[in-house]
Amino acid sequence: MKYKVENISFATLALILAIIPLLLELNLLAGGSTVIFIGKCMSYAIVAIGIDLIWGYTGILSLGHGLYFGLGAYGMAMYLKLVSTGGQITDFMHIGGLEELPFIWTLFKYLPNTLFFMIAIPALVAFLVGYVIFKNRVKGVYFSIISQALTWAVYSIFISLSPYTNGNVGITGIKSLFGSVKGDANRANMYLLFYVTLGILILTYVIAKFLTQRKFGKILIAIRDGENRTYFSGYNVCLYKTFIYVLSAIITAFAGAIFVNFNGSITPSEMTIEFSIMMVIWVAVGGRGTIIGAVLGAFIINIGQYNLSSGIFVEIWQYIIGAIFTLTILFFKGGLVGLISEQSPILIKKFQQKQEQKQEQEQKQEHKQTKQKSEQIIITKPKEV
Amino acid sequence: MDQFINTLFNGLSLTSIILFTSLGLSITFGLMRVINMAHGEFIMIGAYTTYVVQTIFTHIVPEQFQSWYYIVAIPIAFIISFAIGSILEITVISRLYGREIDSLLATFGISLILQQLARTIFGTQGVNVTAPDFLFGGFKIGTITFSYNRLFIIFSVIMCLGLIWYIMYRSAFGKQIRAVMQNRNMAQCMGINSRRVDNITFSIGSGIAGIAGCSISLLGSVDSTLGQNYIVYAFMVVVLGGVGNLKGSIIGAAIIGFASIFAENYTSATLAKAIVLFIVILFLQKRPQGLFVVKSRNLD
Amino acid sequence: MLETVIDIRKISVNFDGFQALTSVSAKVQRNSIHFFIGPNGAGKTTLLDIICAKTKPTSGRVSFFSQKHNAISLTGMKEYQIVRKGIGRKFQVPSIFENLTVGENMELSLKSHKGIWSSIFQKPDPQELEEINRVLNKINLSDKINVRAGTLAHGQKQWLEIGMQLVQKPEVIMLDEPAAGMGKSETFKTGEILRELKSECTIIVIEHDMEFVKQIADVVTVLHEGKVLCHGHIDDILNDPTVQAVYLGRGKGNE
Repeated sequence: MKYKVENISFATLALILAIIPLLLELNLLAGGSTVIFIGKCMSYAIVAIGIDLIWGYTGILSLGHGLYFGLGAYGMAMYLKLVSTGGQITDFMHIGGLEELPFIWTLFKYLPNTLFFMIAIPALVAFLVGYVIFKNRVKGVYFSIISQALTWAVYSIFISLSPYTNGNVGITGIKSLFGSVKGDANRANMYLLFYVTLGILILTYVIAKFLTQRKFGKILIAIRDGENRTYFSGYNVCLYKTFIYVLSAIITAFAGAIFVNFNGSITPSEMTIEFSIMMVIWVAVGGRGTIIGAVLGAFIINIGQYNLSSGIFVEIWQYIIGAIFTLTILFFKGGLVGLISEQSPILIKKFQQKQEQKQEQEQKQEHKQTKQKSEQIIITKPKEV
Repeated sequence: MDQFINTLFNGLSLTSIILFTSLGLSITFGLMRVINMAHGEFIMIGAYTTYVVQTIFTHIVPEQFQSWYYIVAIPIAFIISFAIGSILEITVISRLYGREIDSLLATFGISLILQQLARTIFGTQGVNVTAPDFLFGGFKIGTITFSYNRLFIIFSVIMCLGLIWYIMYRSAFGKQIRAVMQNRNMAQCMGINSRRVDNITFSIGSGIAGIAGCSISLLGSVDSTLGQNYIVYAFMVVVLGGVGNLKGSIIGAAIIGFASIFAENYTSATLAKAIVLFIVILFLQKRPQGLFVVKSRNLD
Repeated sequence: MLETVIDIRKISVNFDGFQALTSVSAKVQRNSIHFFIGPNGAGKTTLLDIICAKTKPTSGRVSFFSQKHNAISLTGMKEYQIVRKGIGRKFQVPSIFENLTVGENMELSLKSHKGIWSSIFQKPDPQELEEINRVLNKINLSDKINVRAGTLAHGQKQWLEIGMQLVQKPEVIMLDEPAAGMGKSETFKTGEILRELKSECTIIVIEHDMEFVKQIADVVTVLHEGKVLCHGHIDDILNDPTVQAVYLGRGKGNE
């Protein structure tokens, strides 16, 4: 029953997303930028699913998923940059004193290679990090602190290796896989990208839903609630944790690659700790431990930010997001979805109770009536005798 | 030789800065098991306080006493961050004892709010604190200059350490703190007001971050992201040293500080820091509990 | 009947200078109910921790003589490997998965599908489901199969955890204070459940409740300050003057 509600909600959301390009065609939206923005939101929602799998279900709080988002995004960006330069070395490499294309860039010269490496590299990093850390049973906040330090270290390296990464500026001036998506003339490209992304979002949802409903998902919850107990139930917890961590990294890297297509650039700011914690905020506010919660959280927070982060609202927005997040953690552990699903049964119960009361009253009345009848019978009995 | 002594001095200086920023954390994290992500913002509060005190001094105090602003700023920075820490403990932290991960997340929300507050008041542009006259320059031995403000930071961190040591191990209140942290229920039965102890302990941790901010304001411009630059290191120091261990924090800070400076001889500062962090992370795989860990006897 | 299934040989454990166990040896016979008793701090739980690899011994070894395979040394194995070999453990504090249903708790404890792949793509077969139902009947929880385990009463949680051990079809079950927090009738019922199980597997129990020990114990080993004090039938143990001294607190000089 509960699963059905979740799936229906997601289907509704997907349907709404699907008609957004239509709205643009009917001139009901401000412009193409809105569609591009929603596209970015979809990539964030994919990230949120990845975070929810490790945090909401397995209880591993990563404060460094920006690392995987960045690795996927940079991988894709390198390919797209090479497309725009025709495989030649870029201007920032010239400035950095490089004569020819560095090895790492040659991996991303062709699309199939790119699709492989943009996933394989983050997956490998996640595997090494996860396996070593989980095997040594580093957990809880210690994992969070280490993941944060690791991301910060990689971020510093990306900034300091500017001949390869263009430092703080990042890789800019790139088009999407389907060509430019900016401007009215390129709407077809934009729609194509939009629907492909929607497809990937749906696919990610289905996979996550499938995994969490199987025994595998129960084991994840078991690890979250009692890691030691799970070991003593005969499970190699380290392996499970590593698996879900790598899967989550892959999902996040994929989202990063999609994000670049919409954004047209990638900077190290997408690899920061702040952005990584932002991902956690989406999931927390939406509702950890439910996939739909993660997805909704990503949309709600980002749409809020998009609409409120201009003019005088810039300042207010930071206060709002900080307050919402803190309050969520303090009082609404289940986030928005938790709040709704907690409240709705209570409302339903109240309704049912009222009905039951009515029924009870009716029954009582009936009872009284029958009692009276029986009394009458008793009374009348002696007469019969 | 000069080169070596210079490196050593820089290492000591960096160590003292890192240690300073992690001292408060080692109290709140180590003793109270609260992961305060807003710790960096308390450093920021201390730095901005120094700036405000300086600004007030330039307006109302005769010129020959200008330099005294810094001496005045230190206690004020402590009091203000102590007070804000106290408010934070009452409103937020007190609901989070025993929920480590949640304390980390909730305080991150607080950190966003405090950063924005700083931007609202002081703007996004950094502000500058000019070092007081008596900290200008330095003294020279041969070709090496020991700058006064770096020496001053080393001196202040030692003073703070002494203060914490005194409070924790020599004062009656320290006994109460340790009692509450070791066995809350028992301490309450002994008539200790554990709510008050929690509150003051957290506030002291925040106050010390404020003093650290005072020192750090001497090193560069002060803006809303000031705290963020130190928070990663501060956490690593506490974890590396072994949570809840003052001695561990000192050695942890020394390892990270000196290693970074030595690595800087071979590569850029950023890269050096990154490499050191990698090494520390690897080391923590061998000893996840940190260098110094108080193992509990596993009784029935 | 007198066939050793677990052989504990000269186990010593030292926690940073604190000697928790000193050269403890004991043999557990197959299909018996073996109790470890002793005052607080005697090292009972530590001993169980050693057998299931939660704690590493400083010296000594534990061997397991299974019916299904050759004798193996448990020392140095990982806990999940030991569980898969057929030794289950129930902890002192009920540790069930509170956010899963009773049925899901049982399903996770089944012997099969421990790998990632099979946990994703395979479901328990009808035989296993039947086994779950059989065990749930035995522990009086069959009507709670779809109830969230966290909402069970304390005694029911204890039973559920015993049930989780049973569906694993272990050769040895270790129970740390299974009757803790139970009322008299619940304790008695637990005892009866265990007595029934004896034919299927070997049971190692830590318990303080002497009534409970008398009810079901075959063999009792008394630990005191990390050493084996004595060993034998419960009646003999209870009449032993040293044991009485230890339990009455006069035991310091009596070793």
